[in-house]
Amino acid sequence: MRSKRKAAPWLHMIPAFLLIGAIIIFPIVYTAYISFTNMNLFHWDDYSFIGLNNYVRALFKVDTGFLSAIGVTLIWTVLNMGIQVALAFFIALGLNARGLKLARFYKTLLMFPWAMPAYVSILLWKVGIYNSEFGLANKLLGLFGIDKINYLSRNVPAFISCMVLNLWMALPFMIMTFDGALQSIDKSYYESAKMDGAGFWVSTLKITVPGVRPVMTPAVIMTTFTTFKQFDIIYLLTQQKGSLSGATLQTVITYAHQNAFVSNNYGLSAAVSMIIFVLIIAFSLFMNRGLKEEA
Amino acid sequence: MKRILSGILCGALITGLFGGCGGETGNVGANAVGTAKNESAADTAEEETQPKGEAQVIRIWHDGDEAIMETIAEEVNSILEDDMVSVQFEKKTGLTDQLQLYGTDEVNGPDMYFYAHDSLGTFAELGILAPITDLITEKDEGYLLPMTVEAGTYQGIQYMLPVYYETLLFIYNQDLWEGEIPDTTDGLYDYMTAHTDTEAGTYAVLNQHSTAYNVAPFINGFGGYIINENAKPGLNDAATIEAITYNQKFAALQADGDYNTINTLFLEQKAAAIIGGPWLISGINEAGIRYGIKSLSEFTLPNGEKLAPYSGIQGVGVLKYAAENKKDAVSKVLLALCDESVGVALAQKANCAPANQQSYADTDVVDNEMIMAMRETAETAQPMPNIPEMSVMWGPTESLLAAVNKSGEDVQTAAETYQKEAETAIADMH
Amino acid sequence: MKKKKVRRIFGIAFLNLAFMILCFVGLLPILYALLLSVSEGASALSSSLFAASRGFTLENYRSILVEEPFLRWLFNSVILSVGTMVVAMACSVVAAYAFSRYRFCGRMQALRGLLVLNAFPQILTMFAVFRLFRTLHLLDSRAGLIFVYAGSMCIFSILNLKGYFDTIPVEIEEASKIDGATELQLLWKIILPLARPAIIVTAVMVLIYVWNEYLFATTFVLNESSYTLAGGLYQLQANDYSRSWPLFSAAAILVSVPILVIFFVVQKHMVSGLTAGGVKG
Repeated sequence: MRSKRKAAPWLHMIPAFLLIGAIIIFPIVYTAYISFTNMNLFHWDDYSFIGLNNYVRALFKVDTGFLSAIGVTLIWTVLNMGIQVALAFFIALGLNARGLKLARFYKTLLMFPWAMPAYVSILLWKVGIYNSEFGLANKLLGLFGIDKINYLSRNVPAFISCMVLNLWMALPFMIMTFDGALQSIDKSYYESAKMDGAGFWVSTLKITVPGVRPVMTPAVIMTTFTTFKQFDIIYLLTQQKGSLSGATLQTVITYAHQNAFVSNNYGLSAAVSMIIFVLIIAFSLFMNRGLKEEA
Repeated sequence: MKRILSGILCGALITGLFGGCGGETGNVGANAVGTAKNESAADTAEEETQPKGEAQVIRIWHDGDEAIMETIAEEVNSILEDDMVSVQFEKKTGLTDQLQLYGTDEVNGPDMYFYAHDSLGTFAELGILAPITDLITEKDEGYLLPMTVEAGTYQGIQYMLPVYYETLLFIYNQDLWEGEIPDTTDGLYDYMTAHTDTEAGTYAVLNQHSTAYNVAPFINGFGGYIINENAKPGLNDAATIEAITYNQKFAALQADGDYNTINTLFLEQKAAAIIGGPWLISGINEAGIRYGIKSLSEFTLPNGEKLAPYSGIQGVGVLKYAAENKKDAVSKVLLALCDESVGVALAQKANCAPANQQSYADTDVVDNEMIMAMRETAETAQPMPNIPEMSVMWGPTESLLAAVNKSGEDVQTAAETYQKEAETAIADMH
Repeated sequence: MKKKKVRRIFGIAFLNLAFMILCFVGLLPILYALLLSVSEGASALSSSLFAASRGFTLENYRSILVEEPFLRWLFNSVILSVGTMVVAMACSVVAAYAFSRYRFCGRMQALRGLLVLNAFPQILTMFAVFRLFRTLHLLDSRAGLIFVYAGSMCIFSILNLKGYFDTIPVEIEEASKIDGATELQLLWKIILPLARPAIIVTAVMVLIYVWNEYLFATTFVLNESSYTLAGGLYQLQANDYSRSWPLFSAAAILVSVPILVIFFVVQKHMVSGLTAGGVKG
């Protein structure tokens, strides 16, 4: 009886772990295996073990370019997450305001960007908004008589452009999660707070924030990682083959892609992947405080 | 450590279990494929009356224009009608990556692929291609333009059967262009300075000024090179730098140089001319523009040389397993592709310049202004390099062009930076 | 008292105004796409600000619906997303429940491990997944794709659900436990209704992931007739669509509409069972 009780939680997890094992863990293990071989264009089927050779070469790539890529990635993650969480929180609060009859309507509209496949949104923005000749952004500027701007040709404007797009794409999920989290707070708390004469800010700080925290923590952490590993936006906006925009913005992932993956050297790129994985583990240890439960 | 160990254990356990249930799910998958196949068979049966028995279908992957592939398929299938062989083109975006995955997978992979010749070396080195000469004789290929055959040859072995080729052309709007087309690039530049108003969004001559393929006419014309036959990148070569510097002043008058942007500007009649390929023509016709064409080799650079674009040779390669197991059918398809009627059809319907010289006996082909311009350009054009190292050169070259043309960096320093990047990329391949 | 009421009306009016502006700004890119998608002319883009001045047409929509196998792709997308949703939710609800309710050795480590695994960019290991699937003959099959998608979204679902389960007071279950309910009954009858918002958010998230995923969908699927919408459009945009911007816009709108409908339908179920017992506002 006792042992059954002990095994119970693990039994619950078998199906999930089977899936995760096959789709997430096995590929990582396999990639680690490839990283010790010389699998590349010239040794496609006849690859052999070459020990840590690939790692030595990969670590040589840890040059100034790579270090600045780490810096860009951190700034990118922090800025995006900060703005995203703050904006989403207040928007969700607004949506849950008493007496806002159109809340459902607004919510649906605000979800629209989420409903679009990522590459479609990115191309839409690239051509429809940021394009220097036809983009909406420059057309609107034109209405005010301001000269055309090339949004993607230099690093700082390109970074901001990518960030705006990322916020546009990511906010709907945040708003929706905050909205769900707000629903989980017992309304009676607010009633009694009101009795005690607490104002909006006080009840927000004392009831809402602690109330949404347990639900939001995992969502925020996971979004942080998604932001950290964001590739499509920066790649498609500024580095797509045949239409480089001129900006040389690099995050860790785009840097790795440009430096290891285009060369079709699978051993080397696997080693780079493993190094990125180690970086992510380090990053998550750093973030770990966030996961501590308030139990 | 404990976590890693349990992770590995989990992995092992899971692969075991997964293998166990793989049988079942495999069945579901097989069913799905089966029905899909039945359906597609039904589709083709509707479209054309099939001869007795079931024709052997040769699957060809491509990443190009559907209309062109359709033209080829129609022609080849009508030639092979009695041979019980037919071809089926399937579009695959990112073909080079896909072939790396599927090139040894006989069940799922294609029998042949149709692509430009510049990635030939990559595929050949992967060891997934069969030599064309194992399947058909040299005599069968006798009428192919030597330049195209050479482009399909890597390290002395021919892996690609050329079907058509394309080069960049000078395409202009006859209603917008004022006066004669100059014969020198300097003349072109003078015209551009006089007729470009970037603020109003009207342009004289547009080019994808930061795309390697589109700047190659200048680089090659100046005697520079992106990569030479010894796989040495030439981004910091003095002649390459001279060419890029020369191109820079053109770029300043050519909008942002993005394919979509400049194409639209031309179609909207906001630009009098565009440097582009035959793939633009269908759009230009749809837009109802009266266009004229001039070969790039009719423009003289300040150094007295002609503009020398790259030529891209499009053709088919045969996957090894298909050459082994479907030898007869594949050979028949190759022979059919050598037929001059394929070239004629391509010329008539899609403005493609046939690789087969015999096709040029057809009056339609000879009267086609565009094809003749490409044929003329082919005299000075250089086939793109087909060594595998070429595949990593596009990135650094375009970074260099974008840095110079778009971010205003110094040509000399940028050239050194990206030369180094290119060298590293090539070293990384091995 | 009256003053308070006036203030509230003003507050609501202000909120409405703010949301209208927000929605407008947020939807601007989409409105622009919508405008383009119904405008005449074959050219890719327009250099005039209001493309609609060129005349209204539904031709772009017609040509997508008729000339491309749009309905077939839609069907595939629906099958795959629903299939994935069922598999992923079934696996993760149970696992999340265990993480939330049991205290066992290795629990924190497992949670942290999941988090790290989820952070790993899947694109880096796609080659390995490919090799695995080739060995198992799961390429070019719906079952295979459902596995990939469910596996990719499983960790996210577990962590997301677990957070919400934690907010449900254990006392509610304890009471039912005494009544002799089995664990599955507890989960089905009590936890799920109480966690409805989280279940819905997570399920929708899974759905959207599958709906919008194109990398696996184009790499692991070989037959054009088994593409998903996102995969099919991705293949198309490479040539046809980038040449015809209005067509691309129309396709973008069409892909998004089903998801929007789902949002709208689902929203009225979003109110948590937890608040039902509380004082109605």
